[in-house]
Amino acid sequence: MNMKDFIKDLDFSRKSSTVVFLIAILVLIGAFIWWLNIPFIEDIFTNGTIMLIMVLGFQLFMGNSGILNWSYVGYVGIGAFASAIFSMTPALKALQIPTMYPFLISLHLPFPLALIAGALVAMIVAALVAWPLMRLSDSVGAITQFALLIVINVLLSQWSQVTNGPRTFTLGGTRLTSFWLVLGVAVLVIILVYCYKESSLGLKLRATRDDRYAARSSGINFVAVRYVAYVASAGIGGLAGGLYSHYILSITAASFYLNELFLLLSMLVIGGSMSVSGAFFGTLLVTLLRQGLRQVELFLYKTGFEASGSAEIVVAIILIAFLIWRPNGITGGRELTWQSIKRMLPIASEKKDPISNNLKKEEKA
Amino acid sequence: MSNITENAPILQVTDLYVAYGPILALHGISLEVHKGELVSICGVNGAGKSTVLKAIAGVLKPRSGSIRFKGKDVTGWKPEQLHKHGMALVPEGREIFPSLTVEENLRLGAFGRYQARRFAEDLEDFFTLFPILKERYHQAGGLLSGGEQQMLAIARGLISHPDLLMMDEPSLGLSPNRVDQIFELIMELKSRGITILLVEQNAQRALEIADRAYLFSNGRVEYAGRPQDMAGKVDITSVYLGGQKGGDVE
Repeated sequence: MNMKDFIKDLDFSRKSSTVVFLIAILVLIGAFIWWLNIPFIEDIFTNGTIMLIMVLGFQLFMGNSGILNWSYVGYVGIGAFASAIFSMTPALKALQIPTMYPFLISLHLPFPLALIAGALVAMIVAALVAWPLMRLSDSVGAITQFALLIVINVLLSQWSQVTNGPRTFTLGGTRLTSFWLVLGVAVLVIILVYCYKESSLGLKLRATRDDRYAARSSGINFVAVRYVAYVASAGIGGLAGGLYSHYILSITAASFYLNELFLLLSMLVIGGSMSVSGAFFGTLLVTLLRQGLRQVELFLYKTGFEASGSAEIVVAIILIAFLIWRPNGITGGRELTWQSIKRMLPIASEKKDPISNNLKKEEKA
Repeated sequence: MSNITENAPILQVTDLYVAYGPILALHGISLEVHKGELVSICGVNGAGKSTVLKAIAGVLKPRSGSIRFKGKDVTGWKPEQLHKHGMALVPEGREIFPSLTVEENLRLGAFGRYQARRFAEDLEDFFTLFPILKERYHQAGGLLSGGEQQMLAIARGLISHPDLLMMDEPSLGLSPNRVDQIFELIMELKSRGITILLVEQNAQRALEIADRAYLFSNGRVEYAGRPQDMAGKVDITSVYLGGQKGGDVE
């Protein structure tokens, strides 16, 4: 492909503008919060951006394949524990988790490598178990993924020699995940997930989501395209898990279970699971909503009302409402592009809108 | 009109049996298609017309019998392998990908068969055949009307430059002038030398344009030959209840 074709293929107004807009919004919010310099808000932003990375990885498989991937949060957990095991010094591990296997205690990698290694462990686990599951679709696929989540969760919560079992796994040391690191990784993951979606592999997977029989007749091996996306998705989840554990500094298997999954799911569905923009705006919206509700809860608590957990209820109700009235989320499954912005602006006259234009033609005819 | 070549047929189906569970749908079907031919398969609902296409395209596994395509025994091949080997199926019910844009639907048809550069060249040619697709290039396939979706489904099959294009009920559920458009298009494709195997309920129209035809009944071939010889040999209405006896539409 020559340069001219390549540039034409990027098609800024319809395709690559999405990445530019999403990154610009994220970086602008980040820069503004950095300038504000309020630790409480920085903390919300860093946490929210880690969630964003998780939701993007979730979208990569679930959004493009249409299979509800319950096990995803398990891979986040695997990445969180694995990267922590790699990054902690042997002395620290021997102190914090005396039950750990000696060969795991002796492992040690610098933090950036430990993050990558954590993601790789999640990918390897996914690669080993996923192949026979990729044949299954719809509710059967979702149920097997749920069963897999149970297996991963039991392993994480009971394997004392690796994860400290049901006790809290404390990383100790300093907080290695920084504000800018999270922002940088999020930018890279936005690019990666979007490029995947637009690539031929992503296109094939989206075709299998619409109709896997028609996809097969178009020469698509749906098991293979699903498998690649599933493993990649687990890798991004594992990476996000590593960032999370080195930010929170104490984790348990329960941190990577149904509560967390429900939060990821509500973010993705409210935003619109079929688009990367949906993952982005869903995360943004639900994060703002939860933080707002938390403030209300605190206020109520001070005035004598016990209302803890109400944020979760409100998010759940909103999720239900979306599934009833707008199942494709706020983005409607579309991407934020220069074209879509132009269409939203009042200047964009009816002339430019091909759908209503054609409708009018048909009315005349 | 019909020019059956002496060469080996591009598609040869021999004594094909296909079953859905315990129910046998095809009882030993044999048919062949030669290069450049337009062959129609007609018959009433449940005669096994769609089943035979699905079996040829690898979507259904035959119980016994053989399928040879371009001189190779392809019995039991997977649909994706057959697609790569030059077979394209335009499935029944306009199975396009509704959430993908027209462009993406077309790109999918081209995968595995040739490079992206030729895709761009072919598009220009395609837009003369299917002007509506140019107009709607960036819209989701699901927003297209029924006739437009059928056009898109055919275009997606064609863009892989298949050696054999199989169409399953392309006129099903379309308004009469859309049906005319589809048949005009099929004629145009035939004049371009594309080998076509067409399954149609609309026997009248399908027989008008076919070089040869197979009349199916209860999973068996009731008649095979040139459509103009058909009238004298079989009572079409007895086999095919949907056909209007002697009723020429145009």
